[in-house]
Amino acid sequence: MKMENIQIKELVSDLQDFYFLSLHGLVGLVRRPFYLKDIVEQMEYSGAGSFFIILLISLFIGMALSLQLSTELAGMGFKMYIGKIVGVSIVREIGPVMTALVFAGRVGSGMASELGSMILGHQVDTLRVFGVDPIRKLVTPRIIGSLIMLPALTIIGDTVSILGGYYIAVFVSHQSAAVYWGSIQGVLNFENVLSGSIKPFIFGYLTACISCYMGLSTKGGAIGLRRSTTRAVVASFVMIIVADFILTRVLFYILGFSL
Amino acid sequence: MIVFDRVSFSYGTQHVLRDVSFSIPFNQRVAILGGSGDGKTTLLKLILGLLRPDSGRIIIGGEDITDKKEDELREIRTKFSIVFQEGALFDSLNVKENVAFGLREYTKMTEEEIDRKVRELLGKVGLEHAMELMPEELSGGMHRRVAIMRSMAAFDPRMFLYDEATTGLDPVNADIICRLILDLAKGEKGFIIVTHKVFDALRLAERFMFLKNGLIMLDGNKEQLMQSSLPEIHVFLTELSPPSPASL
Repeated sequence: MKMENIQIKELVSDLQDFYFLSLHGLVGLVRRPFYLKDIVEQMEYSGAGSFFIILLISLFIGMALSLQLSTELAGMGFKMYIGKIVGVSIVREIGPVMTALVFAGRVGSGMASELGSMILGHQVDTLRVFGVDPIRKLVTPRIIGSLIMLPALTIIGDTVSILGGYYIAVFVSHQSAAVYWGSIQGVLNFENVLSGSIKPFIFGYLTACISCYMGLSTKGGAIGLRRSTTRAVVASFVMIIVADFILTRVLFYILGFSL
Repeated sequence: MIVFDRVSFSYGTQHVLRDVSFSIPFNQRVAILGGSGDGKTTLLKLILGLLRPDSGRIIIGGEDITDKKEDELREIRTKFSIVFQEGALFDSLNVKENVAFGLREYTKMTEEEIDRKVRELLGKVGLEHAMELMPEELSGGMHRRVAIMRSMAAFDPRMFLYDEATTGLDPVNADIICRLILDLAKGEKGFIIVTHKVFDALRLAERFMFLKNGLIMLDGNKEQLMQSSLPEIHVFLTELSPPSPASL
């Protein structure tokens, strides 16, 4: 019973610390000091560093999706809808979620392990001794980097996926290019684009906050570092999927999509 | 003066310090001995307000810091210069930027002045040539020397805190660090060194505290340490006597 109480107390304390970090990190966006060099470094690491892997994964997802749809829709005589289904699913759902998952796997784990090793190496304590707020110096630049780069990567990923879908639809399924582009243009309306554009900001913020929190709460040497890195990735994955569902439901309601 | 009044601290269910009380003048040279996990580093962190005690009071220079907020602790921390275990240099910054870090955060010096000051500090420890090197390119001894210079670059500390300053170093580098520690302690400046290397502690300190199971088992001078009948301390003191040929 006593052990359970301690565990509940620790859980509540962890949640409280997480909310404090998330909020305090966000406040750093508008309040001095601004660590511009750190922000640029984080943008380079999370954006430029993830560019090619996002490009590769998005291309193959677009091609695979188009291929699956071609075989199914050809049998029913609906091949002209390939572009529409590829466009809607990539822009509204698969693009933002897949990019965010890849981002969490690559960038989130990097954030957690870097901050974790800074904790274990007393570098975070050194910052505090020098009067530097570790959240402003370490967390805020990572949040800003994620808020800027994940939406940018998502747009690039969506474009590449649609191009991958085009290649399969036109050159493998022998569909007309004009029909494919026509149906893609048809689904790139305000509601669909907005729906796919809001998600990366939320996913980026969640990934940065979760990864930074897990990194900064690292305890217990190399095993602790492994544990916090794993937790950062798993928690980010789960939160992205859960947040995706909630956001989709909310956006459906706001944008007036009928079910 | 640093005063600990019945201070207890625990990590979750693991008690690290139990009702520990002592006072240390800023100009005293103190060695805190003890095994791994006996709370030596925790004690240094409590002095700086990096950790909060579960109970008891911590008074630094007449100010009770126990419940102070992070912003209020900034001034207190300038009284000290701390060198963490293995130096804790920032991996992403080179030697020059590491030493200049505190100067940039704490002072309004121009880049030229910072450059001059960094050269002067690194020159004192014979590392002027290493300014552009990254921490990963430094040896253990160089790492500690840079960390010591970084810790005292921005402000004039009243006391130095060293966390295992010579651990993991070869005898030559350990000797260089010990000399540097003694050099910096000239005048009215004292230091607290936490270590498990008795040889270095005896060379550097005038007062010795021995921590075990969260309690101070001994607090005294060199003679009291050497004559202690505590078996835990005897184990530590065996480091001083070379093994007999027969035991090899």
